[in-house]
Amino acid sequence: MRLLTKTTLNLLSISLFIYLFGVIAFYYSLRIQVDSNVNKEMEKRKSNIDRQMKEAHSSVAQPPNQNEMVMVKPVEKAAIADRFNDTLIYNREEQRYQLFRQLGFSETVSNQAYDIRIFKSLEETDTLIIRIITIMTVLVILLIIALLVVNRYSSRLVWSVFYDTVGKINRYDLNTHEDFALQDSDVKEFADLNRVLKTMTERIKNDYLNLKEYTENASHEIQTPLAVINSKLELLLQSGEMEEKQYKTLADAYEASIRLSKYNSTLILLAKIENKQFPESKKVFPEAIFKELLDNLDDLIHDKKIEVVKHIVPDVTLQMNPYLAEMLIVNLVKNAVRHNVKGGKLILEVNEGFIQISNSGLKIPLDENLLFKRFYKSSASPESLGLGLSIVQKICELYGFKVSYQFDEGLHRLRVSF
Amino acid sequence: MKILIIEDEKPLSDAIVEYLDGEGHLCEVVYNFQDAVEKIELYLYDCMVVDINLPDGSGLDLIRLLKKKAIPGGIIVVSARNSLDNRIEGLEIGADHYLTKPFHLAELNAHLKSIHRRISYNGSNELILNEIKLIPDEHRAFVLDKELVLTKKEYELLMFFISNKNKVITKAGLAEHLWGDYMDSADSYDFIYTHIKNLRRELLKKGCNDYIKTIYGLGYKFDLT
Repeated sequence: MRLLTKTTLNLLSISLFIYLFGVIAFYYSLRIQVDSNVNKEMEKRKSNIDRQMKEAHSSVAQPPNQNEMVMVKPVEKAAIADRFNDTLIYNREEQRYQLFRQLGFSETVSNQAYDIRIFKSLEETDTLIIRIITIMTVLVILLIIALLVVNRYSSRLVWSVFYDTVGKINRYDLNTHEDFALQDSDVKEFADLNRVLKTMTERIKNDYLNLKEYTENASHEIQTPLAVINSKLELLLQSGEMEEKQYKTLADAYEASIRLSKYNSTLILLAKIENKQFPESKKVFPEAIFKELLDNLDDLIHDKKIEVVKHIVPDVTLQMNPYLAEMLIVNLVKNAVRHNVKGGKLILEVNEGFIQISNSGLKIPLDENLLFKRFYKSSASPESLGLGLSIVQKICELYGFKVSYQFDEGLHRLRVSF
Repeated sequence: MKILIIEDEKPLSDAIVEYLDGEGHLCEVVYNFQDAVEKIELYLYDCMVVDINLPDGSGLDLIRLLKKKAIPGGIIVVSARNSLDNRIEGLEIGADHYLTKPFHLAELNAHLKSIHRRISYNGSNELILNEIKLIPDEHRAFVLDKELVLTKKEYELLMFFISNKNKVITKAGLAEHLWGDYMDSADSYDFIYTHIKNLRRELLKKGCNDYIKTIYGLGYKFDLT
């Protein structure tokens, strides 16, 4: 929820709450006021009637206006006290009940007790009250709307700097070497935020560039001597007749040096993925990568007599770096073929949202925590670098894919969900 | 073929020159950008081997210069940077091949040979070596004018052998040539053995001499001597 929406909702709920209470309180206080006014009028009227009755002996003058009625009824016994209350009286002309306030009291004239009731219509005062409340409601609603509009508009204006900053951080890419230019703000908090962000990105950028330079240099510095070693060893092999023992020594040195350079370039690759140095991103078709890969692994698959089952939906695309997409799939499949058994099974699945590689292999589940560790290798294949799945995991981390391992029905299952 | 090698690491450029020695090439070596510019302005080369990281400039700029001045000749980039961007950039601006350090000398030689073939034979592109005849454009091979029945990998293998004839080729070098990064070298050695066995059998069947020698578990040699 946006801050603006949140504050608006809070404001709205509180003002509605207060307004409801206010209206109810206002209504009742008006009512009480009106009732007491009416009561006073009726008491005046009562003393009037008293006087008239005593003077004219039970003849009562007609009420001075239509809103008032007086009923006089002879009774056996006089009631003790005056009674005020509200009552509904049916109006024949208008065919509806109308609200009246009544005052009942007794009067004894010439030993005859009379029950006298004065009725006073509340119709007009009621209409007045309702009208007042309606006007009030309309006013309050207009006020709230005006407040909300003004609040929204001014907030937009004030927060625009903030949203601009968020947008810029979101789009910020260290690799583009773009300057991180933030808007100035006269709001102190936002100005502070922007200043802090600026120094922070500056520092991160410098660190990043240093690191990048370091990995590049490391790559260059190590690969070049390795190239020298390899080429010299290769030359040495050409130097003519040698004894088998010497060839064997040379072969071991050559293998080791090649292995070293593979480790080096793989570790550099991992560092590069971590440093997000693969900014290019485009539509990648996993199907094409699988096809080329299976062609290239044909020998290995045939040799192990692995049964390959493909459930590849051709139109599935991934938005990512094409080289990393290839690395991801190559490492997954290479891993599944390498650790497979003779006559084993390899199931390749690509569908909207996931790539899943299942393969037969060891009959026991692997430790998922160790699986993605660098240099973790099963005893079955000591020659492997043990970095394949680390690459897979790093690439998945980079793109927010989820990679999970499962062992069921004798198949090791690696699934990349995106 | 006249080759200019631009590589600041002297031991490496020496090794390249030594390997190419006896292939009938004329190799010249420079160790920095400035000397390279001088050389290419004065002489014409059939092929240039260019290192990207030179002490006083970038090999990529050198390629741009070559292309700008429309200087002919094949270009092979040799770089310690194995990033895709560099590779694509190198090839885009006009390099013919891109090799990542460390590379196998046999691989470099094979690329040089393919450039050599491209510039030496126009049209009818045939490669004849004793009783063996290759038509690289069509991926076909003949022994005594009988066509060999080869798989793609076996053909590539034969081509690689012929490009590096009389040299000891390591299994790792072969593996990288045939499968690149797709297969780890240790995995592929058995397949190399199988492919070589098939290739040798096919060559012998068509009446070819047995040129393929095994060098003690280290590699092979296509021995014409």
